[in-house]
Amino acid sequence: MPSAASRHLLFILAPLVAVFALLPGVYQNHLLLFNFVIFLILAQGVNIIYGFTGYLPFGYVGFFGAGAYGFAIMVMHLQWPAVLAVLVGGVVAVLLGLLLTPLLRLSGAYFAIANLAASLAVLHFVANPALEGITKGPYGVSLTGTFNPTHAYYAAVVVMGLTVAAVVYLKNSAFGLALQAVREDAVSASMAGVNVVKMRVIAWLASALIAGLAGGIYAWYVSVFYPDNVFSGEFSIFAIVFALFGGVATITGPIVGVIILYGIYNLIGFTTPQYFQLIYGLLIMGLVLFLPAGLVSLATRRGWNVP
Amino acid sequence: MTYALVAGVLFGLYFSLVGIGLNLVFGVMRIVNLAHGDMLMLGAFIALGVVGIAGIDPLFAVPLAFVVFLLAGLLLYWVLVPRLQGSANPEMLSIILFFGLSQVIEAVTTIFAGTSERSIQSRLLGSVFTTIKVKWFGGKAGGAGPIQILGQGFPAPWVIAAVTSLIVIALVYLYLYHTRLGTLTRAVMSRRDEALATGIDVDRVSAAAFGIGLGIAAVAGVFAPFMFGSITPAFGADATVTSFAIVVLGSLGNPLGTALGGIVYGLCYMLVQTYLSSWADLLPYVLLIVILLLRPSGLLGRRVRVA
Amino acid sequence: MSPERTPILKVSNLVKRFGGFHALDGLSFHVTPGEILGLVGPNGSGKTTAINVISGLYAPDGGEVTFDGASAGGAASHRLVHRGINRTFQVPKPFLSLTVRQNIQVALAYGGATGAPSIAELLDDYRLKEVADRPAADLNSAQQKMLDLTRALATRPRLLLLDELAAGLNPAELDWIAGRIKALAATGMAIIVVEHLMGFIEQITDRVIVLNAGKEIFEGTLATAVREPQVIEVFLGGEHAR
Repeated sequence: MPSAASRHLLFILAPLVAVFALLPGVYQNHLLLFNFVIFLILAQGVNIIYGFTGYLPFGYVGFFGAGAYGFAIMVMHLQWPAVLAVLVGGVVAVLLGLLLTPLLRLSGAYFAIANLAASLAVLHFVANPALEGITKGPYGVSLTGTFNPTHAYYAAVVVMGLTVAAVVYLKNSAFGLALQAVREDAVSASMAGVNVVKMRVIAWLASALIAGLAGGIYAWYVSVFYPDNVFSGEFSIFAIVFALFGGVATITGPIVGVIILYGIYNLIGFTTPQYFQLIYGLLIMGLVLFLPAGLVSLATRRGWNVP
Repeated sequence: MTYALVAGVLFGLYFSLVGIGLNLVFGVMRIVNLAHGDMLMLGAFIALGVVGIAGIDPLFAVPLAFVVFLLAGLLLYWVLVPRLQGSANPEMLSIILFFGLSQVIEAVTTIFAGTSERSIQSRLLGSVFTTIKVKWFGGKAGGAGPIQILGQGFPAPWVIAAVTSLIVIALVYLYLYHTRLGTLTRAVMSRRDEALATGIDVDRVSAAAFGIGLGIAAVAGVFAPFMFGSITPAFGADATVTSFAIVVLGSLGNPLGTALGGIVYGLCYMLVQTYLSSWADLLPYVLLIVILLLRPSGLLGRRVRVA
Repeated sequence: MSPERTPILKVSNLVKRFGGFHALDGLSFHVTPGEILGLVGPNGSGKTTAINVISGLYAPDGGEVTFDGASAGGAASHRLVHRGINRTFQVPKPFLSLTVRQNIQVALAYGGATGAPSIAELLDDYRLKEVADRPAADLNSAQQKMLDLTRALATRPRLLLLDELAAGLNPAELDWIAGRIKALAATGMAIIVVEHLMGFIEQITDRVIVLNAGKEIFEGTLATAVREPQVIEVFLGGEHAR
C-alpha cells in the first residue's frame, strides 16, 4: 500500500503541482491558470464528499463563498495579513459545515436539495442590506490592500497540492476504504466496526475546509467581488460536472475532468454564456445517460487499473 | 393583518399548484425533477406567447400549456427514464440528469427570448369573463378591478390563480381516487416494488404521472407573470427550490398534502413580506432546511428514508 | 459453575415496540461461550428483531442486554462490534463497488480486534479465494452470504449472531457451513442462529428457544421442542384451524 501511495504522489501530484507552478512563467493568461487551479481544488473537494462518501453537494459553493467572506471580513475589519485571512476563510467554512452537519441525516435527493437551499440561505444572509456594516451587503467588497495575484496564485497551487494529497490518502488508506464502505451501506459498515457518523462528519468538514480555503484565496486574487460572484451556483455545478465527467472516487478522474472540460470551455471561448450553458446542459445529460461512471470507466471496463 | 392572511391563502393555493406536479412525479417515480421550475418558466412563456401573438386572454394558455406539456412529458419520459433506471444509482443520477435538462431549457429560452424581464398587464387575465359579462348581461367593458374579500381589495389575477389551483387540485384528487390509472398510481406511490411484482404496468403509470406533473407545472407557470410581477428564463431555478420547499412542507410523495404545504408556505410568505420584508428572501431556504431536519416526512407525512 | 459456563450474553425482559406492535414482549435468555443457541419461531415472532437489538441496530424499549458483564442495550453498533458482538444479515449488503478483499479489509482495519484471522485465511476458509479481487457486486447470493460472514469474523467476535445464513444454500454447502459453525463454537465463540431449516438447526444447535409473539414459549433441545404441544400449536395452529 505505501508504495502505491508514493507512486501516486510521485506520478500524479508532483507533476501536477510542478506544471501549475511553472506555467505562469511561460503562459501569459494568469487568470485562466488561476481558475484552473481553483476548479481542480473544488472538483477534488466534491470528489471527497460525493465520490468517497456519497453525498451530492449541490450547494458546495456555500463553503466557497463563506471562505471568501471570511477572508474579506478579516482583511476589511481587522487588517489581517492575507495568508492568515485565507486560513480564517477555511475555518469559517468548517464552522458552516459544523452548523450544517444535521443535513447529513438526510439521504440522496433530500441532502442535495437541502444543501442547495443552505447555500442560497447563506448567500441571502450575507447579501442582506441589514448586514451592510459587516459584509457590505449586496454592494460587494473591495480589498485593494491585500491585492497580490501572484502570491494568491501560488497559495492556490499549495492548497491544490494538499487537496490532491488528501485524495491520494483516501485512495490508499483504510480510512478511504471505510468511507466508501459507509457510502455503499451504512449498516454493514457499522457492523464492520466503522463509526459511520464520525466518518461522514470528517469527510464533510474536510471538503468544507477545502472549499473555504479556495474561496479565501479567490477573494485574495480577485480582491473586488459581490455576493452573487462568490456564491454563484456555477461553482458547485462546474465542480460536480468536472468531477463526474472524469470519474469520482479516483485521484485522476476529477483532474482529467477539469483539464478536458474547462480546457474545451476556454478553447471555444464562448462570448455568450447561454451557448455554454446549453452545451454543458447537454453534456451533463449525455454524461448521465451514456457514461454515468465517468471517463475513467472507459479504462476500468477494459480491466485497466486507474488510480 | 387580514390582508396578509387572505393574500397568504390566495398565494398559498397558487403555491400548491406550483408544487403539486413536482410531488406527483416524485411520489410515483422517486425522481426529483430539478427541471420542474423550468416547466413553470416555459408555461409563463406560453402565456406571453398567447397574449403577444394571438392577443387573447392568457387564460386560454391554461389548456394549451397543459396539453403541450403533457405530451412533452410523455415523450421525455420514454427518452430519458428507461436508460436512467438501468444505471447503478438512478436516484442520484436523476438529480444530475434533470439538472442538465434545466440548464438546456434555460439556455434555449435565453437564446430565443433574451434575459430581459417580461410581464403581462394584469387586466388581460380573465378579460374573457368581462367580455362575456358585457355581451350577455350588459354593463360596460373595462379592466377587471380588484376583487373584494373581507373588505380588502385583491388583484383579480390572484383570485383567478387561486380558483384555478382549487380546480386543478380537485381534478388531481378525482384522477387519483376515481380513475383506474389513478388507483394504480396510488398503488405505485405507496409500494413501488410490490406494484412491479404484481404486474402493474409501472412504466405506463409513471409516464402518465410525469406528463400530468409537467402539465400542471406549465399551468402554474401561466400565472407566474401575474403572481411574481415578471418573468425571466432564470426564473426556473428559484421556482424549483420554492416548489421543493412547498412539497416538503406538505408531504413528499403525497400530492394532496401539497395543498396544505402550499397554504402554510403562502401564509409564511405573506407574513414575512409584511413584517420582516428584508429577510423574506431567506424564507423558502430556511423553511426547507428546518422542515427537512425536524420533520423530514413533512407536516402530513409518516416517514421517509434517511441516511 | 466453571468460568466456561458463565453466560457471555444475558437478555432479560427485552421489549421492542414498533408503533403499537410489540415485536419483543419481555424476552429473556442467555448464551454461554462455545454454545450454539437456535432461535426459532414463526415469521414475525421476533427472532430478527432480537438480533437487531442485541447488535445495536435498534435501541430496546425496555429490559436489559448484558454482554460480558456490562450493559449493552442501546449502545451504537460499532461500539458493540469493538466489544465483541457481530452478526450476519438475512439479506447481506456488502460494499458492492469494493472488491471482496477490500470488503474484508474494512472490517479488519476498523473491527478493533487483535489476533483476527488474516485475509488469506478468511478467503480460503469461506471459499472466496477465486473472487477475491472482484467487486462484491459480481458475487452470487451464496458468496455474498459468505462475504458477510467473513466481514463479521474479521472483527473476531466472541458472540456471533447468524440471521438465516443457511437459506439458499444447497445440501453440500449446508453440511460444509454447519461444520464451519461448529468449528467456530469449538474455539469458544458463542453463536446464536436464527434459521427456518429445522434439519440444519438440529444438526448444529445445543439448545433452542422457541419464540412466539415476542415471547419465549419453550427452551430446550429441538428434539424435545417438537413434542411440546404449545410449540406444535404455534407452528401448526394455522393449519389445524383450517
